[in-house]
Formats: sequence, structure tokens, C-alpha cells
Amino acid sequence: MKPLKIAIMSLTHGHTRKYYQTLKDNPKLDWVAVCAENETVREVFEAGNHGVPCYMSEQEMFDRHPELEAVVLASANSEHLRQVEECARRGIHILSMKIPTFDMDEYDRMIETVDKAGIICQVELEMHYNPVVHRLKKLIAEGAIGKILSVQATNITLSPVWAFPWQGVPEASYGRRIALKAGDERCRGGALCDHPHIFDLIRHLTGSDIDFVFSEVAPNIRPELEVEDMLLVNGKMKDGTVFLLDPSWSRMEERLKVPGPGWEVFPKRMEVNLTISGEKGVLVSDCFGPNVYHNGAPNDRYTVQYTYFDEWIGLIDEFVDCVRNNKQPLINLRWHRQTIQAMNACYDSICNCSPVKVN
Amino acid sequence: MKTAFFNDKNAALAYLLEKYQISGTGKINGNCLETGGRNIPLLPWRQERRFTELKNLIFNRTLEDVSTFRFASLSAGAESLDELIFQELDLCEWLGASPVSRLFAVFSGDLAVNIIAKLENGISASVECSAMLPKDAAPLSRHEIIARRGVASDQVVDVQVPQSSIYTYTAEKTECFTDVDAEIFGLSQSDVHLVRAAFKVLSVPETAGEWMAQDSHIKELVNEAKQSEANSKPSISKAGRKS
Repeated sequence: MKPLKIAIMSLTHGHTRKYYQTLKDNPKLDWVAVCAENETVREVFEAGNHGVPCYMSEQEMFDRHPELEAVVLASANSEHLRQVEECARRGIHILSMKIPTFDMDEYDRMIETVDKAGIICQVELEMHYNPVVHRLKKLIAEGAIGKILSVQATNITLSPVWAFPWQGVPEASYGRRIALKAGDERCRGGALCDHPHIFDLIRHLTGSDIDFVFSEVAPNIRPELEVEDMLLVNGKMKDGTVFLLDPSWSRMEERLKVPGPGWEVFPKRMEVNLTISGEKGVLVSDCFGPNVYHNGAPNDRYTVQYTYFDEWIGLIDEFVDCVRNNKQPLINLRWHRQTIQAMNACYDSICNCSPVKVN
Repeated sequence: MKTAFFNDKNAALAYLLEKYQISGTGKINGNCLETGGRNIPLLPWRQERRFTELKNLIFNRTLEDVSTFRFASLSAGAESLDELIFQELDLCEWLGASPVSRLFAVFSGDLAVNIIAKLENGISASVECSAMLPKDAAPLSRHEIIARRGVASDQVVDVQVPQSSIYTYTAEKTECFTDVDAEIFGLSQSDVHLVRAAFKVLSVPETAGEWMAQDSHIKELVNEAKQSEANSKPSISKAGRKS
């Protein structure tokens, strides 16, 4: 199979650096170029000595590399529509970050644009390439605990805003400045926008759609943020399964400009745990554990050192397979639309203080 | 894309070789890789993520000035006591990046042993091995590294037994699952590590000679541990080599 010529755009998304090793190791890929959003981002990238040219403008990158076949859109959410349209115009396939856009009109325009251009657009929901999630899906499918009745899931992390400032800017993260609710100075665009995974997983695991959600925000544990950092969600699936989700930034962090050792204040920087009750039993899972643990440099704090963080390998494999064999990815724009609708419904619920139906 | 499910080690190895375009071929047989007319002993624990991360913590100086290793490995007899000692002594040398210079072991027949070892670079190690777990019990192990700056362990604080990723509780049984590799999903953890070790030998050819030499060396160390018991005095390692 001819290696897919691929680039990364913007380099401002927190997941960007996760791709570097995979793009180098996978013989199905030829990592051709990157373009950086700004000078600081370029300096950080070039310090890594990746041996890949870094451009300061998308235009220049495209002009200098007409051979490009695909890009990873590693940018702020507010840039996605423009970049999708630019890539579609050039017939370039897209691996999008987890939130294509929260504006459902824009979202539908993206679907139409991608369809018309005949390109592949895969949405990066990396949990589907995690070995614990593979086992989880297999156990549920085999009926290990019977029909699912209830799901509780956490997708809790530290806040990335100090390293990736756009994630704390409502216009860049949510797309617009909308107050969370009357009398609340905070806006949409925080922790919820960072954590679509568990909304998606309950759809996959139950095989059902989300019926309604109810959500409450709590006082921020980082009061200086303009966006929410603590919230809870519950609701029901159309098949009656009840759920409770925690998509908060509840793990405090050191305010590093570049993520690295010592980022954590709480020992475990990121957790996706699910408790699933079924008609025949209960399943509890930790998608990122067990690990190894230390209290060494730089801060001498008890810290989880992850032993598995390879989701990007499978994700990229699927993307290449879809491009080369003209297949629809598991997480395509159409599938992912309801997950985004459900997340918007959470914001509406926070605003109205009532359950909100997800259409 | 459908998740591939492997239940055969050699099929998983063939998949990785094809995917990463590695030209070598080989067949895993027991704990060895048969390739090019040679039988290469595998050191699969060196591909186990918990150990590679512990090594990284030392190599990257997250831990500074390592003093002592406290290792334990208990099995239900699937592996012989010699095999348990072999793995733990290799881990001592590999994580410590230094050969064992002397060791003293106390054996209880071929069922249990407690060893104190000294590495050439001064690190001390205690190694507890037992093949006395009841049949069908999952193996237990603990690897703790104590340094002047920091302690690291493959066990979370305040527990005595390893954790799993998934637990299921039903009227019939309680089960647990830990999957560690999405690329060759389906294999047991021990098989995953064997496949990754075989892949390493085939993709980094100099590994073969290195591991063959280390295999001979650690076998000598295991004998020296037995000699120390027989002589009731520490054995001085005759086969010191950098790990």
C-alpha cells in the first residue's frame, strides 16, 4: 500500500504531540509537513527535532506540498469549519479533533462539504482504540452482564488551558460567547467541550441513542477561568438505560506552558472509569489502569506514570484504511452528530435547569 | 475497522512483521524464537510496559540515585522456581543497568527462595520468589525501586495485590481482565510480551546476540544462587557483564 502523505495543521490541540511517534513509526504514512499557528508553537515543535518542515501558513504548506493527501486538524474548534472547507476544496482527507464544531448549522455544512468533495473525515475519539475498551465491548456484546440497565462514567482530567489557551476561550472552544445561565459570569466552552468520549461510549455500548440529559455546573475549582470546569450530567437512553457522567476538569494541575513531567497535582491526571450494571451483574473498569507509580522528580509528588497511551496507533490505522479503501470510519461526522447534540443539550439544561431532550 | 482478535502468538507476530514491514521471520516456541536456524531465548518481561516505564523513571532521572530494589514474584507453579529467579535477577540487572556482583540465597527446596543481591554499581536488591500459590491463582508480583529521590512501584500505594482493568461480578463468578495491547488484542498478557519480545529480536537484530549472552549469564547466576545456599555463604558473580 502506498504510504499516505500526511500533515498536521495548527499544532495547537492538546492531542497533537500524541501523533508524532505514530506518524514516524507507521510505514503506511509519510509525514510530510506541519504548519504552526504561531511562533511559540513552532518553537516548541522544532525543539523536538522531528525532521519535518514546519510552515507558518497553511497556504504555504499546501503550495509547497501538492502531494499532500491527508491532514490531522489539530486546531482550536473555531478553526475547524474553515479548515475543513479548505481541505475539501483541495480534495484532502481529514482526521478531525474530537469536536468538529458545536454550531449544528456549521456541523451540517461540514457534512455536506465532505460529502460533496468525496473525502474521508474521521473524528478522533481515541477511546475506541484502547485495549480495555475493546474488552469492554466484547464482554458486553457476549452478554457477560446481560442487558445494560445503568452506566456511570468518568472522563475527568486536569485542565489543559494553561498549555492550550484556546480551550479556556469561549469563542475558540465553543465557537461563540454564550453565558452558562442567567446570573453566571461563566460561558460555555470548558470541561464539557473537552470530554465527548463517555457520551459516545454509552451510545456504542448500549446500541441506543440518548433520550434526554440533565446537567448541573458546580462552582469552578479554578475561579479565574471564563468557562466551566466542574459539571455533572445524568439522563436516559432511548432504551431506558440510565446514566450518570462526570466530564469535569476535576484534577488540579501545575500551570505548565508545555505539558511534561510534573503537570499533575492530583496523582492521576486523567481517568476514564465505567461502572455498568446489567440484568445479570455488574462490571467496573478503568480504561487507563493499572499503571506504575512514583514520587520522584520534578515535584516529589505521588504520580501515576501511565503504561498504556497508544490509542493513536489504531486510530491512524483506521484512518489510512478508510482513505485507501474508501470506507466510512467508525466515528464519522454523521455518527458523531448526536454526541455533539447531547453535549449542547447539557449546556441547554444548565441554562434552563431542566432535563433537555436530545433530538 | 473491525478490531482484530488474536488467539495465536505466531499469527500476532506475523501481523506485526507485515504491518511494520520487517523482513525477518521466526516462530515462537516456548520462551524462544526460532529464526534463521537459531533458537533465541526471549526476555519478554523487558517488553512489559510496567517494567519499561520503571526503567524510564530511572533513565530519565525521575528517580535519582537508586539505592534498593524490592522485588517479589509468586506463582502457582506454572513457572518453575528457577524461571522466577531468572526473570527477577534479569530485571535487577536490566533496571539497575549493572551486573550482579554477589548474592546470597536461602531456599526452601524448589518451592521458595529469598535472595539478597548486590549490583556492581552498589544497588542492593531483595528478591522473593515462591511457586506456592494454589492452583489457578493468578500470579502475584511487586517491584519497588527506592531511590534517594523518589520511590517507584508497579503496585499502587496501600494495596497488597495487583489491580486489574476490568472486574465483572455475576451470580456465577467474579472475573477480572487486564488487556495491555490493542494492536494484538486477544492474547494473554504473557503471550503479548512474548510476541513483543520476538518482534524486538526480529526488528532490532543485535538484540538476539545480546539476549543469548544474557540468558547464559543469568543461568549462571541462578546456579550461583543455589551454590550460595549449598555453601551457606554469598556467591561472588564470576560472569559480571553490563546489562
